[in-house]
Amino acid sequence: MTKAAPKFADTPVDVIIVGSGAAGGMAAYTLTKAGVRCLILEAGRDYDPQAEVNMFAPESDAPLRGTGTADKPFGYFDATVDGGWQVEGEPYTMTEGSDFRWWRPRMLGGRTNHWGRHVPRFGAYDFKPFSRDGLGVDWPIGYDDVAPFYDRVERMIGVNGGPIGLENHPDSPAGCLMPPPKPRVPELLITAAAESLGIPVRAAHTAVLTRDMPDKVAPRSACFNATPCTRGCTIGAMFQTTTSLLPMAKATGKLRVVTDAMVSRVVTGARGRATGVEYVDRKTGQRHQVTARAVVLAAGTGETTRLLLNSGEAGRGLANSSGQLGRNLTDSTGASFRAFIPGLAGRPRYNEDGIGGQHIYIPFWLYEQQKRGELDFARGYHFEIGGRFGIPAEAALPRVWGKGLKQAVRNASGATINLTLRGEMIPNKDTFCEIDPTVKDKFGIPVLRFAFRWSKHEVNQVAHGRRAAHSVFKRLNGTILDPDLPPEQIMTAGGEIIHELGTARMGADPKSSVVDSYGQTWDVDNVVLMDGATFASGPHKNPTLTILALALRASERLATRLSSGALA
Amino acid sequence: MTFTRRTTLQWFATATALSLANRGVAAAAVSQAAGAAPPFKVVDWPASVAPMLAAKGYGRDPDLTAPKVPWPLTLTKPQRATIDMLGDMILPADGASPGAGTLGVGAFIDEWISAPYSQQQEDRVKILAGLAWLDAQSRVLHGGDFAAGTAAQRATLLDALTVETPSAAMAQPVAFMDRLRNLFVLGFYSLPEGKADMGYIGDQPTEGPYPGPTPEAQAHFAALLASLKLSMPSSSRA
Repeated sequence: MTKAAPKFADTPVDVIIVGSGAAGGMAAYTLTKAGVRCLILEAGRDYDPQAEVNMFAPESDAPLRGTGTADKPFGYFDATVDGGWQVEGEPYTMTEGSDFRWWRPRMLGGRTNHWGRHVPRFGAYDFKPFSRDGLGVDWPIGYDDVAPFYDRVERMIGVNGGPIGLENHPDSPAGCLMPPPKPRVPELLITAAAESLGIPVRAAHTAVLTRDMPDKVAPRSACFNATPCTRGCTIGAMFQTTTSLLPMAKATGKLRVVTDAMVSRVVTGARGRATGVEYVDRKTGQRHQVTARAVVLAAGTGETTRLLLNSGEAGRGLANSSGQLGRNLTDSTGASFRAFIPGLAGRPRYNEDGIGGQHIYIPFWLYEQQKRGELDFARGYHFEIGGRFGIPAEAALPRVWGKGLKQAVRNASGATINLTLRGEMIPNKDTFCEIDPTVKDKFGIPVLRFAFRWSKHEVNQVAHGRRAAHSVFKRLNGTILDPDLPPEQIMTAGGEIIHELGTARMGADPKSSVVDSYGQTWDVDNVVLMDGATFASGPHKNPTLTILALALRASERLATRLSSGALA
Repeated sequence: MTFTRRTTLQWFATATALSLANRGVAAAAVSQAAGAAPPFKVVDWPASVAPMLAAKGYGRDPDLTAPKVPWPLTLTKPQRATIDMLGDMILPADGASPGAGTLGVGAFIDEWISAPYSQQQEDRVKILAGLAWLDAQSRVLHGGDFAAGTAAQRATLLDALTVETPSAAMAQPVAFMDRLRNLFVLGFYSLPEGKADMGYIGDQPTEGPYPGPTPEAQAHFAALLASLKLSMPSSSRA
C-alpha cells in the first residue's frame, strides 16, 4: 500500500512543513532564507490568486447575488475554495450536547487567503493570565520575548495602524506600521458616542498595505481602496502567504511544495525521533512516506493535534506524555450588535469602501475595573466596527410596498451601524478534541471528535458586551435591531470565529504542556509545532499576528539547531 | 488611560435604561398576536407545494472567474408573470429607477427559489405557496387570478400583506410577502440600476491614501454631532 515517494524524493530535504498558511508560510520563508531545504505538504489543492481571484465582478454576476451557501459559506466569490465548514469525505464528530464548527480550508495558503486581517499585538497580561486572575496557565514567555518578533512581522507582512496607548495594548515602535486610513462617518460617529461614555476607540492594526511594498520576487501594492478583501487580493495589498511568503521562499530554490498531500501521521524511528511523515495523495489515494531531519507541524490547530494523536504508539499519540494534547481548546467568543441610526438616514454619499474592513476599533478598556472585582467575567473583549453604504439590513426596512419602500431603502442605506464582539475564552475541562474511536475519513485516517462548552465567564462577557454596545447605540438615538434573547443564544458556536487555539499548549513544565516556547515538543525533539495549537491562552486579540511572530521565532531557533548539528 | 467608577456607572446606567422592547416595527417578526383582520375573508394557506426536483449546487470549488447558475428554474410562465407584476408593485418605477419586475429581478427570484440550498428551499416553499394563496384569495374576492385583478384590487391585497400586526390568519401570507419583498430588495439593489438609485459610490479603485469623507459628508456629520450634543472625536481632526 505504501509507495515510495514521487520524483522529488531523490532530493533530500531538511525539514518537512505540514501546512502552508500563516505558520507554514512563515516557517518556509524563514527556514529557506537560512539555507534550509524545505518540503511543504499542503492538504488542499494548489491555488494561484492571480489566476483565480475575481476581484472586480459585482455580486450580481454571481449565483444568488453572491449570497453564502453551504458550498461557499462566505459568498460565491470568497477566496476559500474546496474547503470550509464541511469537507467532502472528511467528517468530524462531536460529543453529545456540543456544537463545534471546524473550518478547514483545503488550499495553498490556507486561511490567509480569507481572513479578518485584524492584527493586534498581545499584551503583557495576555501572556501571564494565570498570574493576573488565577485562571488557566501562564505562557512560558512574556511580551518582551515576543515584542522583537512582532516588530519584524509587522514590517514583513505590512500592517497599517496607529498608536493605542492603553493598558495591555502595546504600541509598535516607530517604523513598524504603515499609516492607517482615515475613518469613515459611521466610525467617527461611533467614536464620538463611545468616547462620551468613556469607551476608547483607536485605529485598528490591519494587515493591508497602505504603502507599496517593493520586492524583487513578490512586489505588493498599496491598497487601492476597493474590492472585498475576502475574495483575495491580486495586487497583494492584503497579506496572504500565496502572494508573499510562499513565492519568496520558492525563489530561494530551497522550497518544494506538494499540494493535495494529506498527512496522516508523523513517522518515528529508533531513537524516538521523527524520521518524516506519511501522507495520502488526495488525487490517487496512494500513501507515501517522506523523510527529513525535522518535522514542522503548521496544519492548523485541529489538524496539527489530530496528526499527533494519530501518530506514535496506538491510542496514546505522539508527544503526549503530559496528556494535554487535545485539551485546552478555545475559540474567541463572538456576537454582533446593530442599530439603525436615524441621524445617519439620507446622509451625503461618498466612497466608503476604504481598505476593506474596519478602519478603527474598540479595544478592551476595563482592566482596572476587572482588577477591582467589578466585572462578573475574567479577561477581555473588543469590538470591531462596521456600517457603510449599501443595501440596508432587512430589519432596518419598514414593512411597506411601493414608492415608500424605495424611499426607505435610500434613507436607510448607510444608516445601520454594527459592533461585533470578539472575546477571550478561558480553557475549561469540558472543551477539547480527541480521536473518535470509530469514525474515519475517506483516507482511512481517524477523525477528530470535539467537545465544546462556554463557561459563565464567556456568557457574562457577551452580556456585558451587549450592554456596552447598546449604550453606544442608545447615545446615538439608535433603534436597536438585535433580537431580545439570552446571551447564550446570541453567542456564536464554538469554532465559528475560526480562532481555535491551545490544544498542544506551550509551557515551562513538560508535565503540564506539550511544547516549549519554541514549539518543540517535549517528547520528540525534532517535531516542532508552529500554529495556534501551541497557544497557552487565547486572548481576545485576533491570533494571526502572534502565530506569525511565534513561527518566526521558532523557525529561527530550528534553523540554528539544524546548522549546529543538534538534529544530525 | 483609565476610567473612573462614575464613568463606568454612567454608561451602564444608560444601557440598563434601554428597553429592548423599544425596537422599531421594522425588526418585528410576524406576530401571532391578534392583529386587525383584513377587509376580506382570508382563504387557507396552501397545504403543500410541488416537490423540488433533484438539482446540484455549484459545488465548493466553482470557477470564480466564470460564474454560472447550474440548477434548473422553477417558475411557470404565469407564475413568473405574477412575480414580475409583484416586482413592479413592490419596487415600482419612479424618477430614479425602473420597476423591479421590468428590470428582470423576477429572474433572480426564480434562480433563488430554485437553488438546492436549505435557505433557498425554505424560501421556495414560502414563495410558491404564497403565489398559490394570492391566486386563491383573488379568485374568492373577484373571480380571477391575482394577475387578472385591477390595480386597486391588487393594491388591497398588498396592503393586507404589509400590515404592521397581522391577524392570525394572515401570519403566513405576511411572512411570504416579507420574504418576497426582501428578496426583491436584494435582487434589485445589487444591480447597477439599484446601486445608482441608492446613490451608491464605490467599487472603483482609488490610488493613494483613502480620501475619507467629502466636505459635504463632514458638514453633515458635524451637524449630526451637534444635534446629539457630542464632541468631535480627536481622530477626525488628524
